[in-house]
Amino acid sequence: MTPTQPTRSGGFWAEAWRRYRRRPLALAALVFVGWLAVVALCAPAIAGTKPVLCRYKGHLYAPCLAFFDRRLEPAVFARDRFRGTYPQNLKEKDPDSWAIWPLFFQDPYRAVRENEWPGRPANPARDEGHPSASHPFGTDQYGVDVLAKMVHGTTVALLVGFVSMGLAGTIGIVIGALGGYCGGWVDMVTSRFTEIVMCIPTLVLILALTAIIEKPSIWKTMAIIGATGWTGIARLTRGEFLRLRQSEFVMAARAAGAGPVRIMLRHILPNALAPILVPITFGIASAILTESALSFLGFGPPPPSASWGSLLNDARSNYSMWWLVVFPGLAIFLTVLSYNLIGEGLQEATDPRLREARK
Amino acid sequence: MIERPPHPRHAPLLAIKNLVTAFHTPAGRIPAVDGVSLSIERGRTLGIVGESGCGKSVTAMSVLRLVASPGRIEAGEILFSSGGTTLDLATLPEPAMRSVRGGRIGMIFQEPMTSLNPVFTVGDQIAEAVLLHRRVSREAARARALEMLQLVRLADPRQRLDEYPHQLSGGMRQRVMIAMALACDPELVIADEPTTALDVTIQAQILELLSELRARLGTAIVLITHDLGVVAETCDDVAVMYAGRVVEQAPAAELFARPRHPYTIGLLAARPSPGMKHSGPLRTIPGMVPLPQHFPAGCRFHPRCAYARLPGAESGSGRAVPLPAGELPCNAAVPPLHEVAPGHLVRCFHAESLGPPRSAQEIAAGGLFP
Repeated sequence: MTPTQPTRSGGFWAEAWRRYRRRPLALAALVFVGWLAVVALCAPAIAGTKPVLCRYKGHLYAPCLAFFDRRLEPAVFARDRFRGTYPQNLKEKDPDSWAIWPLFFQDPYRAVRENEWPGRPANPARDEGHPSASHPFGTDQYGVDVLAKMVHGTTVALLVGFVSMGLAGTIGIVIGALGGYCGGWVDMVTSRFTEIVMCIPTLVLILALTAIIEKPSIWKTMAIIGATGWTGIARLTRGEFLRLRQSEFVMAARAAGAGPVRIMLRHILPNALAPILVPITFGIASAILTESALSFLGFGPPPPSASWGSLLNDARSNYSMWWLVVFPGLAIFLTVLSYNLIGEGLQEATDPRLREARK
Repeated sequence: MIERPPHPRHAPLLAIKNLVTAFHTPAGRIPAVDGVSLSIERGRTLGIVGESGCGKSVTAMSVLRLVASPGRIEAGEILFSSGGTTLDLATLPEPAMRSVRGGRIGMIFQEPMTSLNPVFTVGDQIAEAVLLHRRVSREAARARALEMLQLVRLADPRQRLDEYPHQLSGGMRQRVMIAMALACDPELVIADEPTTALDVTIQAQILELLSELRARLGTAIVLITHDLGVVAETCDDVAVMYAGRVVEQAPAAELFARPRHPYTIGLLAARPSPGMKHSGPLRTIPGMVPLPQHFPAGCRFHPRCAYARLPGAESGSGRAVPLPAGELPCNAAVPPLHEVAPGHLVRCFHAESLGPPRSAQEIAAGGLFP
């Protein structure tokens, strides 16, 4: 602590951020994840075959949104029999039309045909599709561009991390908080339950659950990863609540008339959040890995969702297509590494003992 | 059994009657508070003094029902007369108890360094205390927080409102704690060793502030301390506790001038006094405070008491005084807390027969304990 600093120091999180910023690697990791989020949000504008914005028969449309949800594709294009190919249909059916195209004209779900973009050849398929100027990361055995697949797979990679860890964090914090705060038989029940879930190997549990569910989808995969990955968070939360329950400021809050829910949410949780955030961050990394592993084993989300792991799965059928392994693998590696660096940075920015040691 | 005669004019603000609070540990039942009776009048300051482990803090925590498990209030009444009604805090349902905590009874803790939540600003914490008991807007609560900080005379209150506890010194934090405790105009404030963790000059400031606020707001204060000097300066009444029981309660001036219980006499004699001529060791009471698991039978002070009257067979020390016919030995029955002078209660069989009460100076000079 530096109480003599002339500058006004902020709260706990402002202080933590000040310390976090001093770590270049952690900061770079944060920037990388932020960049991935931008890529995920703008994926249809970066790589796609549908205009970002176009004017057709006097109206403005944004057909690229169809990549997020098929129902967002304007009905007029289906009526006019576009069949998903925009560049020539637009010009033929409305000569006055104009369109803003994605940066990279490639589709994550199908190979681009010959002359779909005027004057461009069809995507090479099978072993032919090695990285080239028009396909920086190559194409898979069906001729689908790997870069386009990866750009659209970013959404899945990020969502898997946030949604599953959001779920795991919620379950873990609720169970841990109840056990740690209430103690007694509540603690008995929650701790034993946590230990039982812990005993089952996660991947086996996930595979079993995946086998049971009907109609697998990316959301169900996330829910399963979340529902099995909360045990560590619950144990840590319980420990923090046990420790903070005895603290003087909690006693002071009780003496001021605060009820148990308010004490848990407002007085204990914000103080326990810093140590809990660290395993959540590491959890995001492992959730991404788990999803990739599931996809690699063929238990991942079905084809419409392009995930990095399913690209690795494609590579299994033909080992000569090294680009199917290297680029998605590198993306997974960098993302997981970033989350681990962020977690480590958080830990050192918020843990008073490590903080002193580093000085 | 009500050991204290009812007050002639009005009910006391808080009357604790035969309170028993025990901790049920694997090692057995530990009665930290064992039959404490106390009363606090409106607008007055009651000091509770005693050694560590005598049960003074547990008594205070019992009043707010904040005794942590495995502690439990097992018997007794805690009658709190507020707004024309009398509540028994020992049995009040939890939701009603919550509105008493902070709303009608405020509490100040010993450790200002750790009693404030580190993640919220000072203003937020005082405002929260207000919002818990008053239906007011956030702005009004914040305005009240500012008003309270001005009341406790914190320097730069407007700026402090948005500062975090770690930016304040110990004395400033204790002022914030006092502001929080008083934010809802409670009728009673319990201060559990509010100055123990502070250095001497800050101690004096905080005590002065408490006295001043009591005079201004008319709040009754229970001051728990082991510092007799603090009691002498600030309290109207004093209760002396020993081994889970009150052994003597009297107005402060009376207690310091004419202590009646042998333990109180011993305590007062053990103080260093400005008039002390020689620089020898301070007087002490022989023996040790008994552990709650091994409280002696009868009067709990008798093994250390110079006046204890025990049956001849048990007196190996030669301190035994022959028992007059019909008198109970000190180790046979618990002496009742009885009135020996108006407002002066003593828990000793022999309070009257100990001879004329002596002044503190005499005790210090003469030495009752060889």
